Amino acid sequence: MLVVNYKTTARPGEWEGKQQDASQETCLCNKYRALGKKSVEIMTIRIRFTFFLLMLCQFISAQSDSIKLKEVIVSDSNLKKYSSSQSIQVLNDSIIDTNQPSLTYLLNFNTVIYFKENGLGMTSAPSFRGTTGAQTAVIWNGININSQFLGQADFNTIGTRDFNSITVKAGGGSVLYGSSAIGGSIHLNNDLRFKNEFSNHVFFSAGSYDTYSANYRTIVSSEKYSLQVSISRNSSENDFKYPGTSDQRNINGEYYNTSMNTTFGYKFNANNIIKAYSQFYDSERHFSLTSPNALKTKYNDFNTRNLLEWESLFNRFTSKLRVAHIGESYKYFPNIDSKTFTYGKVETSIIKYDLAFDVNDKIKLNSIVDYSRNKGYGSSIDNVKREVGSASLLLHHLLTEKWDYNASIRQEITDNYGNPFLFSFGTRYQFTDFYRIKLNASKNFRMPTYNDLFWEGSGNPNLKPETSYQAEIGNEFFTKNFSLSITGYYNSIKDLLRWVPTEGSGDIWSPENTDKVRAYGAEVLLEWKPKIGTHNFTLNGTYAYTVSEGKQLIKNELVYKQLIYVPYHKLTGSVAYNWKKISSYFQYLYNGEVYSTPFNNPATRVKDYNVGNLGVDYDFGTKNSYKIGFQVLNLWNENYQPVISRQMPGRNYTIYINLNF
Amino acid sequence: MKKFNRLFLAVIVSSAFFASCSNDDDNNKEEASGDYKGGLFILNEGKFETPNGSVSYLSDNLTLENNIFSLVNPGKITGDTAQNIGFQGDNAYVVANASNKIEVVNRYTFKSIATITTGLKYPRYIAFANGKGYVTNWGDPYNAADDYVAVIDLTTNTVTSSIPVTEGPEKIVENNGKLYVAQKGGYGQGNSLTVINAATNTVATNFAVGDVPTSLVKDNGALYILCAGRPSYAAPETAGKLVKVDLSNNTVAATLNFTGLTHPGFLDINDSKFYYTVGNNIYTAATSATALPTTALFKASEVKILYGFAVKNNNIYIGDAVNYTDPGNAYIYSLTGTLSKTLNVGVSPNGFYFNN
Repeated sequence: MLVVNYKTTARPGEWEGKQQDASQETCLCNKYRALGKKSVEIMTIRIRFTFFLLMLCQFISAQSDSIKLKEVIVSDSNLKKYSSSQSIQVLNDSIIDTNQPSLTYLLNFNTVIYFKENGLGMTSAPSFRGTTGAQTAVIWNGININSQFLGQADFNTIGTRDFNSITVKAGGGSVLYGSSAIGGSIHLNNDLRFKNEFSNHVFFSAGSYDTYSANYRTIVSSEKYSLQVSISRNSSENDFKYPGTSDQRNINGEYYNTSMNTTFGYKFNANNIIKAYSQFYDSERHFSLTSPNALKTKYNDFNTRNLLEWESLFNRFTSKLRVAHIGESYKYFPNIDSKTFTYGKVETSIIKYDLAFDVNDKIKLNSIVDYSRNKGYGSSIDNVKREVGSASLLLHHLLTEKWDYNASIRQEITDNYGNPFLFSFGTRYQFTDFYRIKLNASKNFRMPTYNDLFWEGSGNPNLKPETSYQAEIGNEFFTKNFSLSITGYYNSIKDLLRWVPTEGSGDIWSPENTDKVRAYGAEVLLEWKPKIGTHNFTLNGTYAYTVSEGKQLIKNELVYKQLIYVPYHKLTGSVAYNWKKISSYFQYLYNGEVYSTPFNNPATRVKDYNVGNLGVDYDFGTKNSYKIGFQVLNLWNENYQPVISRQMPGRNYTIYINLNF
Repeated sequence: MKKFNRLFLAVIVSSAFFASCSNDDDNNKEEASGDYKGGLFILNEGKFETPNGSVSYLSDNLTLENNIFSLVNPGKITGDTAQNIGFQGDNAYVVANASNKIEVVNRYTFKSIATITTGLKYPRYIAFANGKGYVTNWGDPYNAADDYVAVIDLTTNTVTSSIPVTEGPEKIVENNGKLYVAQKGGYGQGNSLTVINAATNTVATNFAVGDVPTSLVKDNGALYILCAGRPSYAAPETAGKLVKVDLSNNTVAATLNFTGLTHPGFLDINDSKFYYTVGNNIYTAATSATALPTTALFKASEVKILYGFAVKNNNIYIGDAVNYTDPGNAYIYSLTGTLSKTLNVGVSPNGFYFNN
């Protein structure tokens, strides 16, 4: 209702905050998806390994222990298998540990993805390759977890420390990952190790503005079973004083979140493994005020994710049956002093079957069918159900040692919005031992969200999905300790889902398939690990140039304008230096200026900003690693607002301990 | 390897270039004249949660100044969701809804006199009676039972008491020691008019007028109320009404019904004629008419979203919110619909306030 009746007052923060992303779209997506994973067992086949070594240098360099993959079962094997012609970046646990614990922070400082963060810890929407917040899929152990209400994930409600690695895949991935995998996808992975091990990891940090972060992770495993439990808690008063001369403070910005992630695997015998993944996430955020006497609001999220998987191997077949249950719920308190709230809840059940068939060493096939069903209700959503099914066929073919390709198709079946047919085709060719080229083209989609379809009184049941056709070309240069990739892409997206007011009176907002967007640009990823004597350096850099334009009718003239909150330039860099037991690192982020209005009004541009962080730690352990460290965030006290009137803190400090035993 | 080093260097160097070429070409400093006798103020609501409400001033010789409050009062902002301006004596009162404040300024210079922040919760509109200010407040917009009219002592600029009213008090006008409050309904849909006795600060009466009363215009001993009707998303949808209340006895004297499910937007009266809007069509009829016209006076085809409306001095003034995010436009038409002036104002212009 609020949404709708914009005119009576402003729309409530609940909607506004979440919706303010580059478009006003909501989305959703769902469910499942994806990928079954083929748990790797890479080891058995040496040839495969050689191939991986040859072709996947990027992967390997970033994840050097994947070489000893022997006992590691990755949670999403299809990601490697069928995305090889696209750009993949892996952030491993040591990178995760040195960054602040939110997914926004981690990706902002380490990838090309831009974030529209409404103040520190507040709602945060990505723009990946110039797309909108709902056009990036977040995949938890192979399952799409974007919100059913909004279609997008809030990157400040995902903690990073519960995961062994986080993989960023640029470009379309709807065949494997379903709705929203248009700009790219973020993969949160819990990988299991089957070897005798008992290890503990304790992390604790304390920082400015009463910011505390704690994480405990334990692994107990044998060759038969493997258990991994991780518990995290983050909280902050977040009441920083605005940098500069202003005596303003960040009011009502406090938050906490608690999460627990459990992964368990059991090998019945050589051919049968059962795995269970479970996550709970509970958070409360007050939303920072943009004007000091505004009504204070707060927002609670409670999410549960459970996945059970049974994998069996017989001859050249790998069969994988997965059953998942995903619950998402929120409560919005429009007035903190009152018990009144609005809420929404969706529960999704997914069943997915993935049969992989290795025709021979060179040709691999997967067929995946999945079905998901969800039920949602809330203050503005009547009890509604939705069912979606899909079938996919995937092929990977190694033509020669140097040349391979992937081809895959997917058909969606649902009553709620068309039945999109999707495809992806990609190939790689390795010209020399240091240069390879990659090509990929795909069709992807984003389905309308619960809000789009079912919002009481204004949902529109006749929406089509957004559709994206895209192509990219990647060049990769690599040596033993150096890799550089340069990728250019073009993406044409039509039928964008947007909430638009009625022409003339503007009284009623309702969702429509309206705009078209054309996005194109280039990305550069770089990693270099020089070693000089006992001095070890690691340099990482990313740069993105992004043009993403939608048509706007300005004074009766149609013109292309850059989407709001999509910078033309974004750059990140980091240097890590290790010498004996001391390690130190510096991170740098540059976000170019962005427009905040659809017509690109120059007066309301958001200024570009540079932020740098510096950290140093000392390992005083001998056999184990016991680190104590110190960080200075926003080193030169940059005064910046990533979104208009959403202030970020100035220079601040964190101390931490990181114990592994 | 060497060539990669060079390549790497090139990337670093070029990145340093991008980092350093931040441009600051948008400080085009505007100056405020500080002289606002006559003319009119255009209130720009701004975007919710982005405190970019602003006040524009159009002089009698049609010179436009934008953002005058912040320019005259450096370091101060108009606020979030600037809703209404009221005049009393030499002062103007700018009500900022989501900022929960009222900026009190001199109406001829716009110099700040005071900021009222306590006792307000989602303030909407202001009127004056008996030497006091009366401000409608929604309270917590999700709570239907905490809505009130705040009473402001104009000498101390503080809220001294509050008068509970039914949900969603909106526009308010004064007549002969009484205040008339349109109960538009806030986030819900109201249908009544509340009458407050300013001598006792109590509700004298409350009676139904029509669904969702949006405009109140006092003219010639009567109060004309434009009711938009219940919108499509709040079943049962109803059509709008134009209701005449006799101010001598506070009863409904006449009702003109809109046809079908028409939802009118704004009403003003000039020279004993109604002017009202439906979408971006403008209609007119004599206040004595017994039926509403079937054809529009004209269609303001320039206007994407008609967001502010006034008729005065033989002109029709229209605010266009465009897309609620980019700066809006204001248009001035003759009484027959000839466009005479286009003005680039602030975000979502929602009202015109004549300073005389």
